[in-house]
Amino acid sequence: MIHPGARTAAARPPGTLLRRGLLGGVIAVGLVVLGIFPLVVTDPTATSIAFFTVVFMGAVSAWNIFSGYSGYLALGHAVFFGSGGYAVALAARDWHVSGGWAVFGLLPFGGLIAAAVAIPFGLIALRTRRHTFVVVTIAIFFIFQLAAFNLGFTGGTSGIQLPFAPFSPTTYNNPFYYVAAIILVLTVILSWAVRRSRFGLQLLSIRDDEDRARGLGVHTRRVKLAAFMISAFPVGMLGGLYFYFIGQIFPQYAYDPLFDVSLALMGFLGGIGTISGPLLGALVLESLQQYFTQKFSANGLYLIIYGVLFLAVILILPGGVVPGVAGLVRRWRVRTQRQSAEAADAAPRGVAGAIP
Amino acid sequence: MSALLSVQGVCKAFGGVQALQACELEVHEGQINGLIGPNGSGKTTLFNVITGYERIQQGSVAFNGTEITNAPPDRVFALGIGRTFQLTRIFGRLTVLENMLIATQRRESWLRSLVRRAGSSAERRRAMELLEFVGIARLAGEPAGTLSFGQRKLLELASLLVADPSVLLLDEPAGGVNPTLIGHLADRIAELNRAGKTFLIVEHNMEFVMGLCHRVTVLNQGSMLVSGSPEEVRTNPAVLDAYLGGAGDGGGARDGGGARAGGATREPAPPAREPAPPAREPGPPAREPAAAPAPAAAPALLTLRGVYAGYGGGDILKDVTIDVPEGGITCIVGPNGAGKSTMLAAISGLLRVRRGEIAFAGRRISGRSPREILDLGIALVPQVHSLFPDMTVRENVEMGAFTIDDRALVRKRLAAVEELYPIVRERAGERAGSLSGGQQRLVEFARCLMLEPNLIILDEPSMGLDPHTREIVFEMVTLMNRQGRTILLVEQNARAGLRLSTHGVVLENGMVRLTGSGRDVLEHPEIGALYLGGAVTADAAVP
Repeated sequence: MIHPGARTAAARPPGTLLRRGLLGGVIAVGLVVLGIFPLVVTDPTATSIAFFTVVFMGAVSAWNIFSGYSGYLALGHAVFFGSGGYAVALAARDWHVSGGWAVFGLLPFGGLIAAAVAIPFGLIALRTRRHTFVVVTIAIFFIFQLAAFNLGFTGGTSGIQLPFAPFSPTTYNNPFYYVAAIILVLTVILSWAVRRSRFGLQLLSIRDDEDRARGLGVHTRRVKLAAFMISAFPVGMLGGLYFYFIGQIFPQYAYDPLFDVSLALMGFLGGIGTISGPLLGALVLESLQQYFTQKFSANGLYLIIYGVLFLAVILILPGGVVPGVAGLVRRWRVRTQRQSAEAADAAPRGVAGAIP
Repeated sequence: MSALLSVQGVCKAFGGVQALQACELEVHEGQINGLIGPNGSGKTTLFNVITGYERIQQGSVAFNGTEITNAPPDRVFALGIGRTFQLTRIFGRLTVLENMLIATQRRESWLRSLVRRAGSSAERRRAMELLEFVGIARLAGEPAGTLSFGQRKLLELASLLVADPSVLLLDEPAGGVNPTLIGHLADRIAELNRAGKTFLIVEHNMEFVMGLCHRVTVLNQGSMLVSGSPEEVRTNPAVLDAYLGGAGDGGGARDGGGARAGGATREPAPPAREPAPPAREPGPPAREPAAAPAPAAAPALLTLRGVYAGYGGGDILKDVTIDVPEGGITCIVGPNGAGKSTMLAAISGLLRVRRGEIAFAGRRISGRSPREILDLGIALVPQVHSLFPDMTVRENVEMGAFTIDDRALVRKRLAAVEELYPIVRERAGERAGSLSGGQQRLVEFARCLMLEPNLIILDEPSMGLDPHTREIVFEMVTLMNRQGRTILLVEQNARAGLRLSTHGVVLENGMVRLTGSGRDVLEHPEIGALYLGGAVTADAAVP
């Protein structure tokens, strides 16, 4: 009497093995491509596009650990990106770190500063929910931007120079690329670990119904704040790396509203709350954007294509590409199962058809 | 025996409405306690207060000797009080099994919870056992959002049990659940109780409550009315008064309670009102002008013929046939969940009619959009307050005419409405949200009059109002009726509603049980049984 769902649940096991194999294959191919890309494609323009793309893939994945899992749409992660950048720039300058590999060693420090910034940020912003939360994150973002313009130690509008990296000009991008790739891989592993942990399940329960989660003993405040910090850490590291690559840091680039919006757009395009969605979204949007910028310089034509692509995806697959495609596959599978079940029902009617 | 959970002197107000008024409640260990009361009597609010979802300024809540007044929900749960929600709340995008792994009474750091996999194998086994126990184990891998309503209720209950709370607060566990599943649910509750769990259950299904509970507490207008064994409660006339809205207020009901024996056949005996024998044309007392002219005379303005409608899978209305005579007041009564609000939604076009036909002034309206139906002259004042709280009173009333372009006409109508409802002029510039519940109700009436509708549908206009305000609201209903508007009224306060109506309809389980003149229905012997459970014969229609 209470099992109408039996039909869909029954035929699951045969699919899982295939799916695991497929998933393993995709991960292996992805890792290989990530690993050999700058060795195969040596054109500096292409490797710099690859670098920016990998940075954004990591940043969106990190953003997704908070916003995707908890459902709180944060539009202030540029604060972590910029703060990580400033932390690395200031540390390199004040601690006289010379250019080269040593600066990469400062990146975890940039991440820590970003995570530390996330504490007061989160304590204030996470008192609110939904639209208010979005607005508060934007407001706090602008406070940081304003502070960076006006505080003495940031160098104001003239910014801070980062040490020059003495890498070979032909493969100059490669060290940056590989460090970004390592951070990306670690962030994805972190995202996966969060997703399967108790902590992650609590985050997801907050996304679905925060009040009920509290009623089941979830310490929602603490969980949200911790996720906010975890999410800030890789973004801070990537910020340090990004500005080291650029060579200098200014307030308007460190705290860039477009960065906030990009993370959200990429996340939504791929599908927030999934592990692969943010990767896909950043891969497509950032590489396209960089490509168009390089090719058509700054005439803004790419924005039209960008917009059309985005609208098309949102209209056709409103939940993002990954959840949307997964849904289509699921529906297709249920339908074929039902068809085959009906076919099986129809054939040996005399034998097993009598079971009501 | 000391109480495991005790509530003392709790008061809680929302805007102008006093939801709880010096409310008392005791839950004894190892018992199944029922909490019943008419709509708006404060049951869910009391749950919210106990579990920390609503803060109180007055009163106290204690559990096991510990004061837990205004403790946050996670702490209340950690102490061992779990609750379900009236509108079942599950985590729709998580799987059924994942839903079972969330509840925790542990205090562990987030760092530890980050490295621990969600659900150890022992926890998963336990979760599966509990899913087996409630009977939905085979759905463990499905997204919880795909479950049926009844399955969600079972999941919600099971997901609490994971953390092994000692007290379970269930808010309408049987509401909207099919009868077979209700039986299953009752068995599970009884079994858990034998294993030592204490229950506090809010429920409108009286058979369920009376059959299951050791002790039943009745709330009325935010206070405890009586508490006792199911038998005591069932035979206490004050309880029936509370459900039927007897003598006007709680105190009066209590006074009247001792003197009379059987609730069901009692005459309504409010002070200043004349108890009339059934057949007679009642001589209208001072404030009761509309009561019961002969029902057969007027032609039907609105007719429902064999209407089926519902949400999701099931039909809530089953073969409903009703005539609403022109120029009269027709009152629909029935226990909670009878389908009253569903019927109004079907009439106003908000809900699609699956079978049957609804016609208004000879034209078929089922299948039309709410906007078209409004344009035909049917106005609905919904159950919950529907004013725009941040707009002024006058703006709210003007919104009622926003489909009319003719400014002069709007001004004329506004003047007429202000004539009838002086409050619209007196409080014109104030925020509508600052008015009391009763005042808001009047402004809502005023707003619906801006379209000069032929038929006004009122969904529980007296809900949450104190007796005096209720009188005023009912007077306005009669007044609007005397000005020529046909009124269709749904009322929880059955006595008061039927008394002012020319026609009465009793709905139960989505079917019409009784029809007749307001007074005939009011005095029908079956009506008490309808509200408080017990046998109702299917052929109980008044000729």
